[in-house]
Amino acid sequence: MTIIAPLFIGLLFGFFLHKGGMTRYHKIVNVFRFTDMAVLKFMMSSLVVGMIGIYLLTDLGIVPSMPITPTYIVGNLFGGLLFGVGMATAGVCAAPIAAGSGEGRLDYIIPGILGMLSGALLFGLTYNQVYPAINKIANSGAITLPEVIDASHWLVIGLFTAVTIVLFYILERAIRMRADKTKV
Amino acid sequence: MNKFVAYLRQPEWSPYVAGSGLGFVIIIALVLSNALLPAPTLVGASGAYENLVAPIGTAIDPANTYFKFIMPAGLTWAVWVLVGIFLGGLASALLSGTFKLRKMPDQQWESVFGKSVVKRWVIVFLAAALLEYAAGIAGGCTSGLAISGGVVLAPASFLFIAGMFASGIVTAMVIYRKKY
Repeated sequence: MTIIAPLFIGLLFGFFLHKGGMTRYHKIVNVFRFTDMAVLKFMMSSLVVGMIGIYLLTDLGIVPSMPITPTYIVGNLFGGLLFGVGMATAGVCAAPIAAGSGEGRLDYIIPGILGMLSGALLFGLTYNQVYPAINKIANSGAITLPEVIDASHWLVIGLFTAVTIVLFYILERAIRMRADKTKV
Repeated sequence: MNKFVAYLRQPEWSPYVAGSGLGFVIIIALVLSNALLPAPTLVGASGAYENLVAPIGTAIDPANTYFKFIMPAGLTWAVWVLVGIFLGGLASALLSGTFKLRKMPDQQWESVFGKSVVKRWVIVFLAAALLEYAAGIAGGCTSGLAISGGVVLAPASFLFIAGMFASGIVTAMVIYRKKY
């Protein structure tokens, strides 16, 4: 199995994460305080660029298929709720822990990675007790938004892009005022 | 050319630029994985940790189906991506001179939690464990589910993002109280 391709992908991934500031505690926490929306800007930029590129390549037949993440409503929501607690408390996230380790952050290298491995271990060991029960509720399979609302995917992408642009504009104006007011 | 190198050496980029960069990485991942793997995949980090811990999991519980069949041990594609993420962070930090061995976050943490390194490390450990467990339930982390799922327009991603922000905001409110 090739190693260079995934290494290359990860290299760029970690590089952009670091340049975006995603390996820093205050950057991640402050999006939840609405004083620094970099995380949201970062995520939405990657979503817009990614969805346009992926659907374009697939529609043009350059790429045979895309992997559709299955939707388990309860699992996705509940997992998200738990995830947000960890993210907002320590200001860390799964991939940034690896990128931040490369930056020399010992608090990521040691307790960060050990914590991730422990969580993974706990999950795997309790898998049979926890996962099937949660994901049997409302398992919708590999659906996509366009299918759900019965619309063209380019309509959804266009709407998402438009909303994103408007949101970015609002964020640039409004949040600047709040950041000055609430410096810690 | 010089301007390009100077830009690479900057410690921080506009999140729009860095985020768009990640968007391109996802496109590259789609193309490469379609060409090189039996099934296409985008990006993700939480799965790699599960592959890495699988040998311990099967040692503790030899009958465990998760670590035998779903996320088996081995240096999988996902693991190599994770290694790459580490190297990418390293490269970017070295280029911008921000590589530094440090035990605590640079700013803000201490004004809320105090200076105790032990406290920081314990909290990071617990938060990371919670994160990874939650990613298991949800089916991925921010990159593996929110972004990789979002770019293919899977509702799973947006549900996850909603949950993440809801609890994140409440958590930040509780921790920061008056300073929120």
